[in-house]
Formats: sequence, C-alpha cells, structure tokens
Amino acid sequence: MVPLTWFLALGLILFMIGAVGVLIRKNIIIMLMSVELMLNSVNINLVAFSHFLDNVRGQIFAVFTITVAAAEVAVALGILIALVRNRGVFSTDEIDTLKG
Amino acid sequence: MLLSYLPVLMMIGFVTFLGVAVLFVSSLLRPQNPYGSKLSPWECGMEPVGDADIGHFRVHFFIIAILFIIFDVETLFLFPWAVILADKSISTLAFIEMFIFIGILAVGLIYAWGKGALDWL
Amino acid sequence: MAEKFFFLMFAVVAVGSALAVISLKNPVHSALSLIACLLQVAAIFVLLRSPFLAVVQVFIYVGAVMVLFLFVVLVLNIKKAQLETFPKGRRWFAYAIVPVVGIEFLAVIFGKSFTATGYEAAVEEVKVATLGRALFTEYLFPFEVVSILLLAAMVGAIIMAKKRWD
Repeated sequence: MVPLTWFLALGLILFMIGAVGVLIRKNIIIMLMSVELMLNSVNINLVAFSHFLDNVRGQIFAVFTITVAAAEVAVALGILIALVRNRGVFSTDEIDTLKG
Repeated sequence: MLLSYLPVLMMIGFVTFLGVAVLFVSSLLRPQNPYGSKLSPWECGMEPVGDADIGHFRVHFFIIAILFIIFDVETLFLFPWAVILADKSISTLAFIEMFIFIGILAVGLIYAWGKGALDWL
Repeated sequence: MAEKFFFLMFAVVAVGSALAVISLKNPVHSALSLIACLLQVAAIFVLLRSPFLAVVQVFIYVGAVMVLFLFVVLVLNIKKAQLETFPKGRRWFAYAIVPVVGIEFLAVIFGKSFTATGYEAAVEEVKVATLGRALFTEYLFPFEVVSILLLAAMVGAIIMAKKRWD
C-alpha cells in the first residue's frame, strides 16, 4: 500500500512547481497552465484524503474543483484574447496601466 | 481491482515503444541528404507571402471550444445522474434537478445563438 | 509493493513533465507537457481507487481544457509568445520563498504530530453510484449553483472573446 504521506508529498511538490511557474514566468498562457497544475495538486490531496478516510466527500469536492477550473479557464482565456486584441500585449510586465 | 487496469498501462507502454521504435529505426535506415531546395515550393506554386501563423485561425474556434468545454462539464454531472436514476427513492428529485441544470445551461446556449456566436461566416 | 513502484513511476513522470511545463519556452510544448502531467495525475487517481475521477480528469482536463489552451495559442500570434524570456527581478524571490514553504509543509506531513497517517486505506473502488447519491442528496444545492457558475462563465467568455468580430 502506498502511504498517505506519499500522495500528500506529490501534491505538495506539484503545487510548489506550479507556484514557481506563476512567479517566474511572464507568459500569461504558461502562468494559467501553472495555475491549472496547482489546482490539480489540490485535487490529488482531496482524493487522497477521500480514499484514506473512506469518505466520498473529498471526491465530490474534487469534481467541483474540476468544474470551477474549467469555468475559470474559459473566462481567463477569453480575457486573454480580449487583451491581446485590444492592447497587443502578451506578457504581464506590459499590463501596467493601473500602476499610475 | 487495480490489476484490471494493467492491460491499459501495457497498451500505453507498447504504443509508446512502438512509436519511438518506428521513428528510431527509420532514422537509421533512411538516406540523410538535406539541402536547401528540398524546403522550397516544388515546381508549381509560389513563394509564400507573410507568416502562416497570424490571423488565420479565427476567434470562432475559441467560441466553439468554450461551448464544448461547458457542455463537457455538463456530461461530468450526467454520468452519476444516469447511474442513480435506477434508485427509486431519489430518482424523481434527481430527474427534475437535472432538467433545471440543463435548462440553465440552455439559457447560455440560447444567448450564444442570439449573439451570433454559432454563425460560421 | 508493486503499487509503490507504479506510484513512484507516475510521480516521477508527473514531476518531470511539470518541470517541463514551467521551463519550456514554447507554449505549445508547455501545453503538451501539461497533458503528460495530467495523464499521470489521472493514473494516480486510479491508484487512489477513484476511476470516475480518473476518467473525468482525462476527458475534462486533457480533452477540453488543454484543447482550449492549444486553440488560444493558435488564435494568438505564437511568435510573440515564443520570444518571451524569464523576468530577472522576481526570480530570486520565487526560488527563495518556495523551497522554504515547501520544506515547511514536508516537515508537517512527515512530522510526528500529523495524525491522519493512522487510517487504513479503503480497498474497494468508489462506485459512481455512491458518488451520485452523495451528489444528488447532500450536495444538491452546490450542484445547482454550478450550473449558474457555468452559465456565467459561458456568457462572460463569449462577451470577452467577441468584442471585435461584430
């Protein structure tokens, strides 16, 4: 049997990689992919606890997380397309209108 | 049990191995003689103007993909719903609730239709 | 034992492809690496006796979300995206803060006071019917709220993307 801590450690490592991706990349698409990675690592944690505590709630929560992630991606990529069409920018360093 | 998933894994492994092996073996056997003319349009046609990657894919594709993703998520809820419909105690409530769910999503589809997002110009 | 071997195999591939996602320059390559990573996560869901979530992971994430990402790379000009380099100023901060937080969490997970490790894992797979029964009784209201969320996402995305093609 694989112990619970292994799954948690895997989720943690993937979450950290996603966080590094959000912090070090400028490309918005790759930042969004990193956010997806972080959401997935959270799903691993939820399903792992669901499995080890023998409780189906973790899986229900994971289903809702996946749904929210899909909605988030649809809106975020819509915003990205609007941004590129109106401003022609692709990196977060160029979106600084609110900076004053 | 988990053993029943083993054929899936074996098939993935075999297909991956086969793909890599075919590419590798053919790279050993084929003649390698690259030169510039091989990359040019041959005999007929003209030199391409501009890049192929700017503005040839329309936002239409994206709108269709969004509608696809939303209704894909709907199927994610349809599967458990279909399974529990056999259970008499909650099937009526689940049936009605699912149609409310589909109705709310249909409003979005009608909106997209009315906005002309489904027209293929 | 065999299960541990398969877990380690999937985990190593998942971490490797996740590292590829954040380090490759071309967004298309990143997206393909992310697909590889998500497939490994689906395999890990199978190891966790959750076949329904594994299937959902494949057909929502790999089948729809990543296709949307690839479509956006197609619709936008990829050359501009390709030329992106890594920013200079924030890197050291990211590299410094993330291992600190990571080691902290690992210390919590593998520490003595983490008591969730005493539980025995369930042997049976979670049936879709069990999931559906919980979803349509206890979680009926969240389920309906999800439809509103999806409607809002659909309308918002269409408004955002539609702006200039009247």
